[in-house]
Amino acid sequence: MNRYFAGVDIGSTMTKVVIFSGRIEATIIGPTGPEHRKLANKVMEEALNLAQIRFEDLSYIIATGYGRINVPFADRQITEITCHAKGLHSLLPTVKTIVDIGGQDSKGIKIKDGKVVSFVMNDKCAAGTGRFIEIMADSIGVPLEDMGRISLTAEKAAPISSTCTVFAEHEIVNKLASGESIPNLIAGIHESVATRVSAMVKKLTIEQDVAVTGGGAKNIGLVKALEKKLGCSVIVPPEPLITGALGAAVLAKEIFEKYEREGQMPVRSSCGLQEAKIFS
Amino acid sequence: MAEEKKGRALATKAAASIPKFVRGNLAATIKAKEEGKKVAYAYIADGQDEIMRAMDIVPAWGESFAGVCAAKRDAEKYLQKAESDNFSRSLCTYATCTIGFDMIRAELGVDLVPDAPWGGMGRPDMILGSAQLLCDPRFKWPQATQHYLRDVPIFVGAMYYPPFDPKFDHHEQEKFYVKYCTEELRECVKFCEKHTGKKMDWDRLAEIVELSDKTWDLFIDTYELRKAIPTPMDTGDAMNTMVPLTFNLGTQEAYDFYKQLYDELQEKIKNKEGVADPEKYRLIWAAGLPSWFALGDFQYFNSKGATFPVEVTYRGCEKIERLELPKTNDPLEHIAWRWVRYWTHWYDKARKRPGSLPKVERIIEYIEEYKCDGVVFHSAFSCRSWHAGIIHQAETLKKVYKKIPILILEGDIVDISSYNEADTHNRIDAFIEAVDAYKSRMG
Amino acid sequence: MAGIQDLKGLAKAEKYYTDYGSRAKELRAQGKKVIGYISALGPVEILTAAGVVPFRLKGNVEEAITKGDAYMETIVCPFVRNVFDSAVKGKFDFIDGMVLPHQCDSLDRTGDIWRDYLNLSYFHFLNVPHVSDEPSIEFMKEILKLFISTLEDFTGNKITVDSLRTAISLHNENRRLMRSLYDLRKSNPPLITGSEMMKVLVAVMGLPVYESIELIKEIVEEVKSRKPLIHGQRKRIMLIGDQIDSTIITDTIENAGAYLVMDDISIGSKMYWQDVDEDKEPILALAERYLRKLKIPTTFVDTGGTYEENLNARFGHMRKYTEEFKIDGAILFIYKYCDPYGFEVPAIKSYIEAVGVDVLYLEDEYSTSSLARMKTRIEAFLEMIA
Repeated sequence: MNRYFAGVDIGSTMTKVVIFSGRIEATIIGPTGPEHRKLANKVMEEALNLAQIRFEDLSYIIATGYGRINVPFADRQITEITCHAKGLHSLLPTVKTIVDIGGQDSKGIKIKDGKVVSFVMNDKCAAGTGRFIEIMADSIGVPLEDMGRISLTAEKAAPISSTCTVFAEHEIVNKLASGESIPNLIAGIHESVATRVSAMVKKLTIEQDVAVTGGGAKNIGLVKALEKKLGCSVIVPPEPLITGALGAAVLAKEIFEKYEREGQMPVRSSCGLQEAKIFS
Repeated sequence: MAEEKKGRALATKAAASIPKFVRGNLAATIKAKEEGKKVAYAYIADGQDEIMRAMDIVPAWGESFAGVCAAKRDAEKYLQKAESDNFSRSLCTYATCTIGFDMIRAELGVDLVPDAPWGGMGRPDMILGSAQLLCDPRFKWPQATQHYLRDVPIFVGAMYYPPFDPKFDHHEQEKFYVKYCTEELRECVKFCEKHTGKKMDWDRLAEIVELSDKTWDLFIDTYELRKAIPTPMDTGDAMNTMVPLTFNLGTQEAYDFYKQLYDELQEKIKNKEGVADPEKYRLIWAAGLPSWFALGDFQYFNSKGATFPVEVTYRGCEKIERLELPKTNDPLEHIAWRWVRYWTHWYDKARKRPGSLPKVERIIEYIEEYKCDGVVFHSAFSCRSWHAGIIHQAETLKKVYKKIPILILEGDIVDISSYNEADTHNRIDAFIEAVDAYKSRMG
Repeated sequence: MAGIQDLKGLAKAEKYYTDYGSRAKELRAQGKKVIGYISALGPVEILTAAGVVPFRLKGNVEEAITKGDAYMETIVCPFVRNVFDSAVKGKFDFIDGMVLPHQCDSLDRTGDIWRDYLNLSYFHFLNVPHVSDEPSIEFMKEILKLFISTLEDFTGNKITVDSLRTAISLHNENRRLMRSLYDLRKSNPPLITGSEMMKVLVAVMGLPVYESIELIKEIVEEVKSRKPLIHGQRKRIMLIGDQIDSTIITDTIENAGAYLVMDDISIGSKMYWQDVDEDKEPILALAERYLRKLKIPTTFVDTGGTYEENLNARFGHMRKYTEEFKIDGAILFIYKYCDPYGFEVPAIKSYIEAVGVDVLYLEDEYSTSSLARMKTRIEAFLEMIA
């Protein structure tokens, strides 16, 4: 009999669900809005449809991410640090260091045999996150999805000394006015983020293989800049956004099976997948 | 264009010769070993200069080196190294810059660190820290350094002075403060004797203390020439000319430098050569270490006709006769008296003017003597020691003196990521307008 | 305040925690003088000997700093700023005066600001040195004598050798009793939660010493006879930092599924470990306790020996705690803009990790504004050491 488990990762910008049975049955990625609960339900429904199972078929559900306390139907909450480590390890077992660059935060995680041995986070300052690139893209009028590609065409990255997003914006506007080329500026922006991220990650002892996950991993310019700053090559998993949800689902399976071995019933949430009201 | 540092125009030839001093100080720390001398990490204005000079200990000034890194905009690599072992970015950036440098030294297992600005600092044989009322990093930074250079012994002496209290006559406490400082200096000598294997030559020390007294006097005499209108030299230069007093106190070179500067200023006054032409506004730099990577801002002020004939920062001395020091044959006790009396020099004035503070009295004295029209403070975020209390000084000045225009600039000593040139220039412009209006009102 | 005198033990502590300062206010209304102080350097024995109520100041982590910013720079220690903000907002209107010890730059450089804006009838800056060698002990004695003389002038009470001896004896008893309460945290599970302990620590720091003694006695009896509160395997955590005085942090740790069983914080074990030597002349004994026995980063310690010896001299007590209280993980909770603790982070972290105890280093403000971020880190840490 096939057992099904689910991982729900409510990030600040994206909500991800993975249905897992020992292999990935379905993954769904949707934008997070302010109504976390409603969204979580909706995304879960989509995932269940995709996997062709019902909610009742799920044996255990773990929620992770920034909004993990807003998933009433989840049986347990586990931090995204632990879940990313687990998820990455199941995809790429040789990875020892994870660099996760999200929309609003970034993390560094050291793993050994799929378990976290140390971690660092930056969730206070935009300068080391995707947000920095987003704001600057807006400032110079370049579509966000083109930023990475353009940065690779730069002659020489224009260094940006301010780490404060507001000051950096001023600096870029000034540089533009003085005739700096757009690709050079964009390369400088990526370098800035890569510098901040690597400064954070260097608090851990970086060991290869190094993997990059999160939205930042989809930005080729950022990945290349990060490689330069870290002084080593990095691996980007095929779908870098779902490692958290995957890890949560894998953990759900592990925890459930541990309960089974110990002859116990896991404590489950009493909430089903009903239409959640706002602020309920 | 953007990243080329603008060349700085200095008003005096003397100031232009300062980089030689700084480089020389750094080079001395590297040559020391082959010359059979010991290198000590040391901190400025802590009363221990003469002891080092008398024992041929070569001081390695972290504060100078960090300033050089900042001025060359090459401090970030060291700040990030320190950050990588969990030193917070909110800590004193002189310290984190130098600690980062030493972390690299330890990691590479070398005596000399490659690619360091102006050759960097030689490896220390000891650290002479100071737990006085100057700042906390002076005794935490040595400990943090020892975490990476584990064989380097540390001495921390305490040089305390009585705190200001309007209700207290501090003269009653002076004696036990001076006793304490003297004994701490004696402990410093013992430590230096132990780690150099040499005994202190007390006669030599007495001579050096006499020289440093003369240097203090000459420094003040020289700087008082800046009272001239137009002023022949301003704070932009003083951030250089402070080097010999601050880093070379007790040496003949330091004394000779101020002779040279004195003569040069005399000449300029004779020729009515001012820093700004025309000099429209005279300002006082009332407190705060400068942004070492943005000293060009002084020239920005000058371009608006504003000069700084006087500053409080790095004017770490006073004419000896004004301090009324008791006579003593013990050079250490003399240093201790000079120390205590320098720090308490403005206490009596502050007590006489209700609601005032000694630092404010000093500012008022300079405003009057140097005929200033405005006051500028600089608040550096990583330095609590010199920058906590600036708001209070500004408010007290307004309250007890007059409504003279005040500007409080914000930035840092070493960390350039906190600085925004356009923003700073805007604030300077607005301030100059306020000073202009103030001058017109005063007639 | 109807009914507070009927409350006993932990319930009383809870009331004093929630309504911090209520007892001091009552005593003031009865004619006693209340003198506020900051930090573990507060010379409580001298205050007791003078017949005043020693009142340790705290801020409010749930309140944003507003008025204080007009006078005090934002680069000052967030804790000091918060307490000052509370003072300027009138939260300590019931104190007659303050003694501000020179713990660090954030206190020393703001001494004028406290004095000039609070308009207290009594203000004394206690110029404690940072070094603890022989000349410093002599100097500290002078500093304490100076403090005694201004306090005598203000209170009109002579502080005699006898009154000092009595006060020292009382405060030592207070410390011993508190240590016996800490002993009840050694069991697995501990008999008192970290949050309950926090309330006790805060409650007693606002009471006269003889009331603190009675309250701790009640609490020890109450807790001794308890059945363990929580069951199951949980990790045992030690909290290290300076003034951490809110149950919001302790709740966060314990709600994440851990036992908070020990601390090295300035309202906790730093206050209550190390007694004043009753066999020595009182002022000398006080100087020695506050300069040499009290373990705070603002007192420079160096043995003149090896680096390992220095580490043991500075942090050895933390290793002892990890053994005595069977610690699995330590949380190093340091405020931003704190040089004394900030410069020690790498040394403390590696020293504790060397005995197999994982360390989570958190940099935060004295505020709950970043609570969600702290929660995630604490939870991830506990998941990591599980």
